[in-house]
Amino acid sequence: MFLNIVSYIKMKETNDQFLEKLLNDSSFENWVLKNNKNDIVFWSTYLKNNPDKLEVIFTARSIVGGILFKKNSLSDVFVDEKFNAVLEKIQLQERQKGIKLAHQSKIKTLKIAIASIAAIFLLLFAFNGFDDGQVTYKTGFGETLNLKLADGTSVVLNGNSEISYQKNTPREVKLSGEAYFIVKSIPSTHAKFWVLTDDIKVEVYGTQFNVRSRDQKTDVLLDEGVINLVLENGENKQMIPGELVSYSKEHLTHKKIDKSLKYAQWKNSTYIFNNMPLEEVMKYIEDTYGLPSQFENPEAKSLVLSGGIPNENLNICLTAIQKSVGVQIQIQEDKLIIN
Amino acid sequence: MNISPEKATWFLFIQGDLNVFSSLFKGYYPLLHNYGYKITADIALTEDCLQDFFLYLYEHRKNLGEVDHVKSYLFVSFRRAIFKKLKEKRKFIFIDDSYEASADFEFSAEELTIQKEFNLIQKSALALLLNQLSAREKEVIYLKYQSALNTKEIAAVMNISYQSVLNTLQKAFVKLRNTVENDTIRAILKEL
Repeated sequence: MFLNIVSYIKMKETNDQFLEKLLNDSSFENWVLKNNKNDIVFWSTYLKNNPDKLEVIFTARSIVGGILFKKNSLSDVFVDEKFNAVLEKIQLQERQKGIKLAHQSKIKTLKIAIASIAAIFLLLFAFNGFDDGQVTYKTGFGETLNLKLADGTSVVLNGNSEISYQKNTPREVKLSGEAYFIVKSIPSTHAKFWVLTDDIKVEVYGTQFNVRSRDQKTDVLLDEGVINLVLENGENKQMIPGELVSYSKEHLTHKKIDKSLKYAQWKNSTYIFNNMPLEEVMKYIEDTYGLPSQFENPEAKSLVLSGGIPNENLNICLTAIQKSVGVQIQIQEDKLIIN
Repeated sequence: MNISPEKATWFLFIQGDLNVFSSLFKGYYPLLHNYGYKITADIALTEDCLQDFFLYLYEHRKNLGEVDHVKSYLFVSFRRAIFKKLKEKRKFIFIDDSYEASADFEFSAEELTIQKEFNLIQKSALALLLNQLSAREKEVIYLKYQSALNTKEIAAVMNISYQSVLNTLQKAFVKLRNTVENDTIRAILKEL
């Protein structure tokens, strides 16, 4: 009798441990959600070979699958109103305490970017002159430029792109083209960092992200941190790492990066493509290097590219593409021929 | 030099940065609103409590201490605040002050969407089944699948052990599966 109790307790313990292991196992999750053929096969086989574990596995499967709820339904306007109510009370209190908030006037327009922990770096000199207080950096086709802005933010500018700012507002930059930002924040002055493109404003704090603004469409892909996007229509959209927002003429998509999503990211002199048809990849190349592509074989347009393509120069870039999808690319004076 | 964005947020918030505060507010208000309403079934009370809660956070930000996980911190503190408010309104009588007493959640068909496992039964039927679970089981399910808290966070919010959360999840789903299977069979038999 004693032995039975002991073995029951042992069994319960191992079952508990096993359940926990299952719940933390991503391959198990893939089996439940049918995400990955290999994992599906593995666990189906495991189940067949371990019928004594059936209960635990089925329970774990239920937990992973879970109960699906609809998303929260409060409107942004509603939440904004509630925030303003709280803000009013805060201001009232602060006024009563007789403390003047340094940023009281700025509170009215909350389209302000934020900075996080920071360090201060040396100034780099502007590409153009300092006339009329504007600083501009511009890259030609195929060029990349590593910059440290006056405030310490790192920017890598990709080919055929331009970034500019006013000297007296160094943390408000205009971008056309493509760049990768590593923003440093300055808590002592609560300085905000903005990236403005034709379509949207990116409100930043403590982040690393990629912005691509071309052909009247802007893509923002967030690596680290939190950013807030202010759209043309005044709407706000918050992003967390691993998300991609694409905005063009009032049409917005907001997605989480996963293996099936088609996206492109440029970072560390490398293009990272996922599920991107070759035709679109070559469009990226055209934007950056100024060379349009001519497909001798129209079927090649739909070849899919996934992976990192080094972008240090045109040759390296094209070699990588050729190896990756198995095409031949010939460089001519004003175009690329693809076979 | 890699400070987690969460810690950065909190640090700035403590400094009194209103923009960070705005982000926190707008980011968590909908989740907490939903949670508060689930517990109290009273919108006015929930919104009242939320306003006081965020005000309190801002006013006392310097005395809040280190926060490693903003989401669970906000949930834990808000839950405390909501129960306090409920007590004041005498809608809830505690036998003792422990968090053991969970409010009686009610799930409705409207808040559910297409299910993976229980997709053959109607949403209204699923809601009914969920409501038959214990208060603790309901709250764990809510926090895990609606508020998207992980096991560790749920343990913190409900003031129970990590293992307890797992056990509760297990019990709940075993119950659900058994009931569904029985009811289905029963329904089939009824049709005959």
